[in-house]
Amino acid sequence: MRAPGGKDGLVAGDVLLAVDNVSLSFGGVKAITEVSFDIRKGEIRAIIGPNGAGKTSMLNVINGFYHPQQGRITYKGATRQKMRPYVAASQGISRTFQNVALFKGMSTLDNIMAGRTLKMQGSFFWQLFRHGPAMREEIEHRRKVEEIIDFLEIQAIRKTPVGKLPYGLQKRVELGRALAMEPDLLLLDEPMAGMNLEEKEDMSRFILDVNNQYGTTIALIEHDIGVVMDLSDRIVVLEYGRKIADGTPDQVKSDQKVIDAYLGVSH
Amino acid sequence: MFYREAGQYKTSYAADMAIFPIRQDRIGIAVILLIAFVIIPVFGNQFFLSSVMIPTLVFSLAAIGLNILTGYTGLISLGTAAFMGVGAYACYKLTSWFPGVNILVWIIASGFVSAGVGALFGLPSLRIKGFYLVVATLAAQFFLQWCFVRIPWLVNYNTSGAIEVPERTLFGVVITGANATPTARYLVLLSVVAALTWFASNLVHGRVGRAWMAVRDMDIAAELMGIRLLTTKLLAFAVSSFYCGVAGALMVFLWYGSAEPEVFVINQSFLVLFMVIIGGLGSLIGSFMGAALIYMLPIVLRMLPAALGLPIASATVEHLQFIIVGALIIVFLIAEPHGLARLWQTGKQKLRIWPFPY
Ligand SMILES: Nc1ncnc2c1ncn2[C@@H]1O[C@H](COP(=O)(O)OP(=O)(O)OP(=O)(O)O)[C@@H](O)[C@H]1O
Ligand SMILES: [Mg+2]
Repeated sequence: MRAPGGKDGLVAGDVLLAVDNVSLSFGGVKAITEVSFDIRKGEIRAIIGPNGAGKTSMLNVINGFYHPQQGRITYKGATRQKMRPYVAASQGISRTFQNVALFKGMSTLDNIMAGRTLKMQGSFFWQLFRHGPAMREEIEHRRKVEEIIDFLEIQAIRKTPVGKLPYGLQKRVELGRALAMEPDLLLLDEPMAGMNLEEKEDMSRFILDVNNQYGTTIALIEHDIGVVMDLSDRIVVLEYGRKIADGTPDQVKSDQKVIDAYLGVSH
Repeated sequence: MFYREAGQYKTSYAADMAIFPIRQDRIGIAVILLIAFVIIPVFGNQFFLSSVMIPTLVFSLAAIGLNILTGYTGLISLGTAAFMGVGAYACYKLTSWFPGVNILVWIIASGFVSAGVGALFGLPSLRIKGFYLVVATLAAQFFLQWCFVRIPWLVNYNTSGAIEVPERTLFGVVITGANATPTARYLVLLSVVAALTWFASNLVHGRVGRAWMAVRDMDIAAELMGIRLLTTKLLAFAVSSFYCGVAGALMVFLWYGSAEPEVFVINQSFLVLFMVIIGGLGSLIGSFMGAALIYMLPIVLRMLPAALGLPIASATVEHLQFIIVGALIIVFLIAEPHGLARLWQTGKQKLRIWPFPY
């Protein structure tokens, strides 16, 4: 079921991304302290932890939005001190945001089409005419986008400005926009926050399908422990910016430090 | 003649991606073009052409330029008049150096000069946003304005300090200078504006426009999706200034006939900004509507008292004009930031489902 070797020459199970001894602080606030873990190709890797544990900051380090003061990031075999957003995007890292970050004034279709910008490199000249190569390119990518729209079952809201959509659908469109980049590594920051049970089930199904059908590696931040245990292959647990556990759902579930962290035992 | 899409099935993505997917809209555009290119020149009198249509078209083009920057890319600029000035002075220099080359070539070329200057002044936009960027464009406005006044070379050392538009022809017809007829000037202007509007429409509906709007709506997400912020913003500055530059050149060559530096002062930047706000941020049709409303309002107000036989002093009319424009801006900013264009859309939507709104 796992993905075969991709264009990067990695096969399922190889380390796709490794975070090594990364620390990040904002002024005096230490968001991440000496955290190391890896993400293997083809897996669903959950990052969990209480509020303020540094989960979102970790995703921001991975796709180059924050630059860690210390540590290294190895992605597809290349080791860097820090990522750059453009490099991360062009090398196949895409993401969704904890607080939906869609392009509010644009339609569902345009939002997802915008996700294909990196793959649309036709000349500016033809863009002026919206004919010839520009139109062919537009149609070719529209076809891909329609596949995503069908996959996420959002045909009915294709032309709706996303600002007008209910929250649950916005999250779905945002997943669509991230998928449009055909990512090798998909970072999902609380894709089910604020959803009802039915919406969560839909979203879980989409995440599993993306992983199965396209072999996309996924890093998932989620507070709903039930969902995390069901979906993920391996889990890393953060607390106060430090890693306190790392392993399969079963290992993590029985880890005393994790139980303490989640039951709020005082330190 | 119902405005409806029923029975018009789109069988390909190309058809669905057409800019006017509904047939009645396409007919509407054809009718507007027919009126603009045939009816108005044939039936419109000289006053209507030179005092209403020509200015409105010039300002529409400038408003499209500013709208690309402000409405589509979310970068507010107060340098519009200065970029129009760059176009005007560039066109004047170019046609003075090479009088033999067709003036239309120089009008377009002056747009490129303005694009370059615009991109240069757009450089700070990567680092600064919002209020501070407005201040940076204001600095551009004042610096360029200063150049227009202080560098006599720009006007070939004319003692008047003004651009004096020479006579130029197109296909043997005089289109600039004192001997150009309003009809000739209007038709040339209309052709340029129609073509550039078509280009703008193509741009904003494709990859480039999506990148602009993505940067406007959520620059962080855009950047993390591989949209380069600097390139995208600079392109917006360049394209915007191109349109403003061409509008400036057209303003002086096809409308004013001569122009002093005072034409390109900050007031004109505000005027175009008001057109964009009232017409609708992020709408090309709105740019025309805003330009028409703001430019024609004073004309109508001036003529109204006389027509109705009301004894209102012209000073009062002028004050009235400020009050109305001011009130309109406030109303639109609060109630309908998408301006006249959105009202028009809403109206069409109502018509589409009329008489059964559910
Ligand atoms: N841009 C920033 N500037 C200053 N402090 C920040 C910034 N981003 C995050 N922090 C701090 O870093 C710490 C970790 O924040 P982060 O958002 O990564 O937590 P999280 O695990 O995602 O929490 P949540 O579950 O609430 O989303 C917090 O103390 C937060 O206040
Ligand atoms: Mg978070």
